Amino acid sequence: MKKKFVYKVDKCLGCKSCEIACAVAHSTSGDLFNAVNEFDALSPRKKVYASSGKNYPVSCKQCDEPQCVSACMSGALAVDPKEKNVLYDETRCVGCWMCVMACPYGAIKPDKKSKKTVRCDQCKDKDEPQCLKACPTKAILWTSS
Amino acid sequence: MKQILIIGNSAAGISCAEAIREYDQTSKIVMLSDEDTPSYYRCLISYYLAGDVKKNNLMYKPQKFYSDKNIELVLNKKVIRVNTKKNRVSCEDKSQYDYDILVIASGARAHIPDIKGVRKKSVFVFRSLKDIKEIESLLPITKTACVLGGGLVGIKAAYALRRRNVEVKVLVKSNQILSQVLDAEAASLVQKRLEENGIEILLGQDADEIIGEGDIRAVKITSGKIFGCSLVVLGKGVEPAVDCVEESDIKVNYGIVGNEFLQSSVPNVFTAGDVCESLDICRGKNAVNAIWPVAVEQGRCAGLNISGHATVYPGSFGMNSTDFFGLPVVSLGLHRIEKDDQGLEECKVFDAAQGTYKKIIIRGDRIVGAIFVGAIGSSGIFTRLIKEQVDISSLRDKLLEDSFGYPDISGLIQEKEQSYV
Repeated sequence: MKKKFVYKVDKCLGCKSCEIACAVAHSTSGDLFNAVNEFDALSPRKKVYASSGKNYPVSCKQCDEPQCVSACMSGALAVDPKEKNVLYDETRCVGCWMCVMACPYGAIKPDKKSKKTVRCDQCKDKDEPQCLKACPTKAILWTSS
Repeated sequence: MKQILIIGNSAAGISCAEAIREYDQTSKIVMLSDEDTPSYYRCLISYYLAGDVKKNNLMYKPQKFYSDKNIELVLNKKVIRVNTKKNRVSCEDKSQYDYDILVIASGARAHIPDIKGVRKKSVFVFRSLKDIKEIESLLPITKTACVLGGGLVGIKAAYALRRRNVEVKVLVKSNQILSQVLDAEAASLVQKRLEENGIEILLGQDADEIIGEGDIRAVKITSGKIFGCSLVVLGKGVEPAVDCVEESDIKVNYGIVGNEFLQSSVPNVFTAGDVCESLDICRGKNAVNAIWPVAVEQGRCAGLNISGHATVYPGSFGMNSTDFFGLPVVSLGLHRIEKDDQGLEECKVFDAAQGTYKKIIIRGDRIVGAIFVGAIGSSGIFTRLIKEQVDISSLRDKLLEDSFGYPDISGLIQEKEQSYV
């Protein structure tokens, strides 16, 4: 079943531990000390924005009617017929940035290095999203709504 | 049994058929395509020619899609007439199809300019997979090509040819490239990037004559100069494919006019995609926005209405994103203020060091246009502000800041689901 992130804004310190954990999780080496050497190539899928004195982590919200999928003109994005979450086949992405332009949350970013879109995949190959583990105040919840 | 006939087998037609099938498993759905290939991602053809995309990744919906959804797809059927009295369409090959409900999603076709020699062999439009395959077959013997037109199609064609090591000249009639989607500042940044990568661009020049007997040898331009080339690509815009309804009572303006339910002037005829003219929320009047996401949305909306789920189409606006040799560019809605546009204002930030440019156009307290070059990460939020016509009076100072993000607008919009508690 599809899971989504919920954030407890009052708990978020804006420490960006989630951003670092995300960047490391999606680095080539997969660990912090070696990932530092890949600095130019690191691209977190989550970003913490400050607004009106509070902090808001932003990443893919797994919309029920994903605009990015309608906009994708290369077949890289699709809705999983069973789970209903957004699937991303990176090998089909051509870097046209239609999904970046369509995302109502600004949660999809262009990666200039790979010329492909980067977006939260909820750390699909790991037991749970690494941002969740990294958050020192447990401001990030991962729930099946 | 009700028969729903869809003219067109691309983004709009397919998304319409899919939406109908969400609620209606019994009506017969027949789709007519004038192409000889199953559906493909049309926007990928330039990437395919460039060598960025393999042929098997071009496929949009496989045969299984049609059989699973019980849709009959008929290829090589060019509809030439629609008879709304008899509810019947006629094809070029004399075959006829009856319908109870008709969807015209016939798309657009390339405009052929009136230039001497334009019908010669080796002059191509850049619209279908067939065009691209023909161009590709000539690449081994093509050293120099000339692209007529500096719009998105022309520039993408030039990019693809350059990637295949062809020397490319682009002739642009106006004094900037991409004049339909970018302002002069943004266009000059893109032009610089294209030139750095070996594409030659001639502004204020049009082709006068395409020269050669049999094979093309040269193009003569308005200044009188003659360039040698053996291939010409026409990128002089597209026009809605409305020929088949010209003799009918279906109202055509520039495209087929669709109302708020994307119904044409004839109630059992719907329209969607590149052929459909409907409300443009940035211009405040009807327009054809011939782009993939709009085609998908309109097809879906028409399909929902056909299946009895009344859905109002909220209107569209032009939105284009692309990447030119590593320079990302997004254009939304209006891109410049014309002389007779009253009540529009623009704000822009140009960062020469970063090579980035951002501009927004505002009418009253609503955003009606935006351009991003180099830094496009927040463009989706602007798409939303435009789409939902959000009052941005409280955001004015923040909009063009690098730190601008979703949390800045979250208090101004309605969300079905709260992510922040």
